[in-house]
Amino acid sequence: MAPILEARDLTKRYAIGPQVVDALRGVSLSVDPGEFVAIMGPSGSGKSTLLHLLGGLDRPTSGEVVLDGIPIHRLSDDEATRLRREKTGFVFQAFNLIPLLTVYENVALPLTIAGTSLRRRDVAERIAAVIELVDLADRLRARPDQLSAGEQQRVAVARALVTRPAILLADEPTGNLDYASGSELLGALWRSCEEEGQTIVLVTHDAKAAAYADRVCVVEDGRIVDEILLGRRADHSAAPLIGRLAELGL
Amino acid sequence: MMPGLVGYAVRSLVARPLRSALTAVGIALGVGTLYATLATNASIETGVERTVDAILGRAEIRIAGLRGIGLSEATLAVVASTDGVAVAAPAIEQRTYLGVSVGAGGVELPASVTLLGIDPQRDRLVRDWPIAAGTDLASAVGSGDAVALVSAELAAADGLRVGDTIAVLGAPEAPPEAGRVRIVGVLAGPGPVVDAFGRVVVVPIDRARAILGRSGADRVDVVLGQGVDPAVVRRRLADRLTAEPYVVSSPADLAEGLQASTADLRAMTALVAALALFVAAFLIFNTLSMTLVERVRELGLLRAAGASRRQIGRLVFVQAVGLGLVGSALGLAWGVGLGEIVVAWLRLLTPVRLDALTVDPLVIGTAVVVGLLVTVVAGLEPSLRAGRVSPIEALAARGQQALGPARLRWLVVVFGVVAIVGWLLWPAGPLDPDALRALLVYGLLLVVTLAVPFLAGPLGRLAGLPFALAVRLEERLARVALLRDRSRTAVTVGALVVGLAMIVALGVVAAEARRAAAAWIEGVVPGDLVLTSVRPVALDEPAVEELRALPAVARLSPIASFDVAAFGYRLDAAAVVGSDFLADGRLRVVAGPDRAEALPAIDTGPVVLVPRAVADRLGLRPGSELPVGLGSGRSVVLRVAAIVERSLPGRAGEAILVGWSTARAEFGIEGADAFAVRLVPGVTEADRAAVERTAREVALEPSSIERVHGAIADALDRVFGLFDGLAVVAVVVAGLGIVNTLAMSVFERTRELGILRALGMTRRRLWRTVLVEAGILGLVGSLLGVAAGLAAGFLMVELARGPGDGGWAPAVPWLVVVLAGCFGVLVAVLAAAYPARLASRTSIVAALAHE
Repeated sequence: MAPILEARDLTKRYAIGPQVVDALRGVSLSVDPGEFVAIMGPSGSGKSTLLHLLGGLDRPTSGEVVLDGIPIHRLSDDEATRLRREKTGFVFQAFNLIPLLTVYENVALPLTIAGTSLRRRDVAERIAAVIELVDLADRLRARPDQLSAGEQQRVAVARALVTRPAILLADEPTGNLDYASGSELLGALWRSCEEEGQTIVLVTHDAKAAAYADRVCVVEDGRIVDEILLGRRADHSAAPLIGRLAELGL
Repeated sequence: MMPGLVGYAVRSLVARPLRSALTAVGIALGVGTLYATLATNASIETGVERTVDAILGRAEIRIAGLRGIGLSEATLAVVASTDGVAVAAPAIEQRTYLGVSVGAGGVELPASVTLLGIDPQRDRLVRDWPIAAGTDLASAVGSGDAVALVSAELAAADGLRVGDTIAVLGAPEAPPEAGRVRIVGVLAGPGPVVDAFGRVVVVPIDRARAILGRSGADRVDVVLGQGVDPAVVRRRLADRLTAEPYVVSSPADLAEGLQASTADLRAMTALVAALALFVAAFLIFNTLSMTLVERVRELGLLRAAGASRRQIGRLVFVQAVGLGLVGSALGLAWGVGLGEIVVAWLRLLTPVRLDALTVDPLVIGTAVVVGLLVTVVAGLEPSLRAGRVSPIEALAARGQQALGPARLRWLVVVFGVVAIVGWLLWPAGPLDPDALRALLVYGLLLVVTLAVPFLAGPLGRLAGLPFALAVRLEERLARVALLRDRSRTAVTVGALVVGLAMIVALGVVAAEARRAAAAWIEGVVPGDLVLTSVRPVALDEPAVEELRALPAVARLSPIASFDVAAFGYRLDAAAVVGSDFLADGRLRVVAGPDRAEALPAIDTGPVVLVPRAVADRLGLRPGSELPVGLGSGRSVVLRVAAIVERSLPGRAGEAILVGWSTARAEFGIEGADAFAVRLVPGVTEADRAAVERTAREVALEPSSIERVHGAIADALDRVFGLFDGLAVVAVVVAGLGIVNTLAMSVFERTRELGILRALGMTRRRLWRTVLVEAGILGLVGSLLGVAAGLAAGFLMVELARGPGDGGWAPAVPWLVVVLAGCFGVLVAVLAAAYPARLASRTSIVAALAHE
């Protein structure tokens, strides 16, 4: 089966004042359909930069990114925008919900932006399904300021899943959550992958979060230094991963 | 305050160049408008002095005869021989034409000129005659009195030069050669003539008498001997002058009259300038509040580092003062330019001779101080709020929650300061009734502004409807953005409301003025055409019969304007045919017998119709007696037949109406200076043109009632155009506030905008979202502004009405309403251009990383 996402020899260079920083130095990665991949690394390792390039939020200095057969590094801004609308879903560390819009409206936002041709009933059913997935069916009319941090992040996950994206990209989604909320969130992501075949790429510095993935790519200093195969596991134990990281000295 | 914090305060301003610049520009516009108004008032004061000097020269007393009567030779001799009088310079002044022969053919009459007849030897002792070319009359008159000076403007307009001979149209009985005079000099200005539009011909008084077929003079200007008390001379003159009625005035009286003629203009410009300043205060208040929100973490850090509340408050205060200083300095430059424009405009509207804008250090200082004061007061509340920021809340929370909402109650304080300043600087003084009326209007606008926070929500939903039909998501996101900070939105909308309300209010006042003028003309003039003459036309002249005989003419009604003296007042009077007014359905009787009885009564005896305004002033009722002085100890008692609502316009008010028999018998009025022509119904254009052509052949200038309406409307448009221009300044300042608000809104939503882009929203749709936000702001501001403007306008009309004015029905100037509404939305959308660009160009990654 062809990969749903492929990155070949990606580099990203930034100029910060007089200095030039190489955030990525020739990273290659491929993700199969339905796979849950985690990208791990310490702060400043380039993992978020990698995620931005994979999702078409930014352009590489060199290299290629092919999403579902489309070379996104060659697209214009509008074409990349349309691709994101149709093929990707994002979850960020700061929940980034639109205040004063209800949970329902926030989840529906990608469909509203896309101007879907779906019938209203189908839209409602889809929204209900993702809301059910994140276990927020009783909070549809609430506004973000009426939700807990965990609930807000679950709304963000539902929003990311509502368009059935080819790939869901999550950048430190549990970074602002307590342990219990974080576990709930990661459980929801894993279920979407297990039950609906959603492809997920998760960026995290937390081994316990990365342990939910099928495979972990370890990034350090702008390069992938190791890949750790964990397989699809219902227990999400972090022990094997932590052990392997210790061997790597991370 | 720690010296370092002053530098930090300045750097903070410099670090936000757009916002600081917009705020400074807003202050500049407000201060500049204030300065322009104050400087214009100062220029008018100087202009009044200059005008009085030009008109009276060194004369300390002017004795003016009543129109239609004048001053006899005997009176002139008495004045000259009165003890204490050093020089008595008589003058004749009459409007006429150049180069026109009666009966020469129906050519278009040229622009009229004012013929001024003077005694050259005596007049040079009263005033200076600045000569631009040639020589003065006193030097030239030795070679005969068929000599003339022309004003420079007349010379330029008609291509006249020294040595040219001109023909002045005179009385029918005067020989044609009487009017042929040779130009010996060109005057540098219009001389001592008011309302001549710069077209003046000056001849020796004997020549003027010969041209006009009369004797005596219209007035005499008196220079007193050294150390002579004017009051004593006035008493002597009062004892000795008994031949005919007259009016005595001094330079102070003339100055007062000129001041009064500009009072309404100055009052209105002062009100509009105060509102522009108030809107600028909104801008400062809003800007500083927004800056606080943006920098709350910085302030929290400073507090955590040991800065006291007072120091933090002073930091913001220093920024307010800095903005105020820069804005006031810029405002002076803008104010000078605006002031020159206002003065140039006023030259078209007032008889006061205005030179360049007067630059007065006191005015400059006042404008700068007021600008700083308003800035400081507007910035005080945000400063105090900044000082109350808790370090922990500021560092942990989003700025809004740490600071709390801007206190709109503070705007009442700002309003109060601007109101007090405006009241103290009121052109006619704080006790002028107009000042209090202006405060009422101002207060109404403040009430509406304070209601904006309550109305913004429901009005925002309403205003969003048209956008929701086309761009539903953008409209939803825009409304969410507007409701994020209600007080900020309210202040931004409030500023727009005030500016637009002023435009609409002025529209209401202008519409009412036009309506009242039209109603006046239509209710009074008994005809479709008015034929005016520069000289009295005898009623039995062949020309009159010729006009009457034209098939298109149903009725030709003669009117003569003159002055009478009663109860110590000079009153405008007119000789009319009462039955013509009855037949034409003109003149509404408001007290007294039926029209059918009252109007014809003036044709048969010493009976008068009195307009309501004059009746109220003199306490007259139907049946009252009005004793009118005729001079030489004689008087005639006119019985008031009825009080009419409006009457024919005179020089200073409305005219009392007498019949021709009374006018001839008692006042010696023999000729008409106007004819009202009622045309036969269904008359063709060709027949109408024939009437006009025949009229011009006898030097009667035809004006249709529509043209009269048009002339009045044009004059009103000029006046209100000036006010509208100043009100537009207030709207522009409000527009700057919208730029600031939207830019702040984009800044606050940076990460949100990044998410929307990440979710697939194109740059174009983001740009559209900000535009829709501006459109909703503009629409809400327009709706409220129009409503407030209508209310303020109706209030202004009602407050300006006098006890003699009848009822009125509020009329909505729909064109002004629509234009003002569209203008409000346009300003808001234009203001969104930069913030929308900011929003659409934000990098997604940078936006997502924004805190």
